[in-house]
Amino acid sequence: MRDTRFIQLFILLILTALPGRLEGQAVPGPDENIPFLITFGPDGRITSWGDDDFSQTFFFTIPVDYKDPFYIRIYDPDIGGKTDELNNFWNTRMVYSVYGGKGCYTHPDAKGIHPTNNYKSGTLLATRAFAMDNKLDERWFTFGPFNPADGEYYQKFSSNVFKIICDGISGDDGNLYRYFLSRRSDENVPIQGANAFTYEYTFRMWNNNDTSFVSHIYPFIDSGCIYIKQKNFDWDSDGDFVVVSVERKGQVMPLSGEDNWVEDRMPILDAEIGKSLDFRFYKRRGELVKNNNVVISVENQYGENLQFFSAPIGGVPVYKPRLKVTPKK
Amino acid sequence: MTLSVFSLRLNGQAKGSFEVQHVTSLSSGSDDFAPIVTDDGIIFCSNRKTNPFLTKKNTEGVRLYDLYFAPFNAEGELSKPSRLASNLGKDANIGPASISPDGKTLYFTKNLVPGKNLKKRDSNKLGIFTAKRSGSQWSDIQPFEYNDPTFNISYPFISADGMSLYFCSDMPGGSGSYDIYMCENIDGRWSKPVNLGSNVNSSGAEIHPFLHSSGRLYFASDRPGGMGGLDIMFSTLSFGTWSKPVRLDDPINSEDDDFAFYAVPGGFEGYFSSNRRKYNDDIFRFASTIIRWSVCDTLQGNNYCYEFVDEKALLLDTLDMKSRWEWNFGDGGRAAGIIAEHCYAGPGVYDVSLDIVNLVTGRVEKRQASYELEILDIEQPVITAPDTVAAGETIMLNASETYLPGMTIARYYWNFGDDTVSEGIEVSKTFQIPGRYNIQLIVTSERDQSGVVREVCVCRDIEVTGNGN
Repeated sequence: MRDTRFIQLFILLILTALPGRLEGQAVPGPDENIPFLITFGPDGRITSWGDDDFSQTFFFTIPVDYKDPFYIRIYDPDIGGKTDELNNFWNTRMVYSVYGGKGCYTHPDAKGIHPTNNYKSGTLLATRAFAMDNKLDERWFTFGPFNPADGEYYQKFSSNVFKIICDGISGDDGNLYRYFLSRRSDENVPIQGANAFTYEYTFRMWNNNDTSFVSHIYPFIDSGCIYIKQKNFDWDSDGDFVVVSVERKGQVMPLSGEDNWVEDRMPILDAEIGKSLDFRFYKRRGELVKNNNVVISVENQYGENLQFFSAPIGGVPVYKPRLKVTPKK
Repeated sequence: MTLSVFSLRLNGQAKGSFEVQHVTSLSSGSDDFAPIVTDDGIIFCSNRKTNPFLTKKNTEGVRLYDLYFAPFNAEGELSKPSRLASNLGKDANIGPASISPDGKTLYFTKNLVPGKNLKKRDSNKLGIFTAKRSGSQWSDIQPFEYNDPTFNISYPFISADGMSLYFCSDMPGGSGSYDIYMCENIDGRWSKPVNLGSNVNSSGAEIHPFLHSSGRLYFASDRPGGMGGLDIMFSTLSFGTWSKPVRLDDPINSEDDDFAFYAVPGGFEGYFSSNRRKYNDDIFRFASTIIRWSVCDTLQGNNYCYEFVDEKALLLDTLDMKSRWEWNFGDGGRAAGIIAEHCYAGPGVYDVSLDIVNLVTGRVEKRQASYELEILDIEQPVITAPDTVAAGETIMLNASETYLPGMTIARYYWNFGDDTVSEGIEVSKTFQIPGRYNIQLIVTSERDQSGVVREVCVCRDIEVTGNGN
């Protein structure tokens, strides 16, 4: 039996000790350096564009002591214009839905990586469909206000949890967007101690083969984790995927090719428990892979999916060599 | 002429590291010499006066030599000597002796023809005899089979295993005067005497052989080049050949006659005889003042070579890390790898740092870890000397690289492992005999404010080859 009390205490300590670092309301987060989330329209079930299931779920955690109304803002929610990915002509519709209440997070289907069964668990608090809309192109749309108490209280995080799902319902264009959990409806004002996470990340890589454009995601390694299995999809063999942690400096992991999955296991070291890993994605140098959209998820040895926090729990892991100097015999 | 055999006289001088004391409890005012130590006392030779009725004299009224025994008392001190036995020989000189390892057989020197009726002094030669111990009595006196009325055989020494008998003789065929010979016990009989050869024997007299447990054959010789008179020296047997003798230094040898050397197995104490007090032979006890530590640290070489490891990376070093570890050793040296090795020129404080190069981006992450490496020399006295030297070759031994911080050194004391010593930060030494010598350097501090004197010892071996003179 895993020690959930430990991780609860740990996260609580992190929330209180490092409030500034955990303003993880921007999705993708600043430490992730990911330009956009992406969800495609489902027509034709074409996955080769970089979305395996035409749906993306994120959770927001709001510290239980935060009582004020809050907002969930979406950047460029429509499908069309400069930011999104056109396939033939703009014909795509998306629905964004915000859930709270019991089961919005704790329902087993909510923690999956596939939009199946009751993945829309919980109480629907707000929903809206979007298509091409020039008024919202490269602008923010705001859901809310929401009462924090309308979320699902999750003791392990000492937070109220809300869920937002972006489902493609028609068309085949790619919807590029971002979220922000905000105290204000008209600007992005973070809530101290809040965070966001997902179990499956579908995002756009930078359209730049300068290796300084490194994207990161930060799976959190829970206690009891012996190994992880990462699965990534449609990476088009675009560059290098390396894992950095407090214990390892750039361990190379395999990347998928066009429209296929690849997975690999990696043993977890004791010192990595209770911390985040840094999955780094370096785009290929040389020939540029444009508009590369990718999917990734991680599970532990029990098949449980691990969270990718927008603000990495414990901070961005930094590898620190441990030097040993010994006289030669 | 019997007396002259026991009292050859010559001259010489030198220096050494022994304390010498006249053994007054054995001194009589007459000749007292050639002590041998038994379990319960000391047997020695003397021509002392006993009383008017018992004092042995020859036909010319000259006092004769006899063996005396001084037992140890309960405190280990010597008690008053008395004649060892009255039945070893009547009207004859009874002289230097040796006793078998089991203490039951006495080998002793005696005139071949006892009695007062001898007219010519030279005609009464010396021979070796044995006596068997029975309780406190000595009996069954038997002559050595090679005794001969035409020459002297004397100064017996029976080896510790009882299988070799060394003695001295002026028998024909020798190098001159007295030579040292040896017989081996083969099936209960003594083999024919073998002359020990020209290294041991000279044209002068070689007398009083004593084979120490170390393998050294000590004897006295009046050959030229010594300190004067009889000098005590030793030779060692190597591959069937006795080496050139090495003379003992002052104060064992003096400008007078020094002879009849006897040492306990460790070699640090024993007895010898000398007429340095003039007129008579006396017994002296010596004890080594040589400092030699029983436990002395072996000299260690300073190590300036180190291995540097990023232990974390080592755990995963079979994996492609897309990184390169670059070490800066703080002395200008650099190396790449999760494990690196580097040798410094010497002691010092070095700022070792590790850069990690991201092989994907080419970015160098500077000083991902650093380590202040302080290299110190080993705190020890240091012996600088060649590992190998030829016998007869003079070498210099230097202690100037001694590293003992906080210690004000008052004395550098050298023990060369051959019972010779020297003092000074740099000394010279000539080893005469091939072999492996364990050199000790003992460094002594000035007395500190608390009155404490520190001493530190290191040792190392020097191989002396037989290629020298």
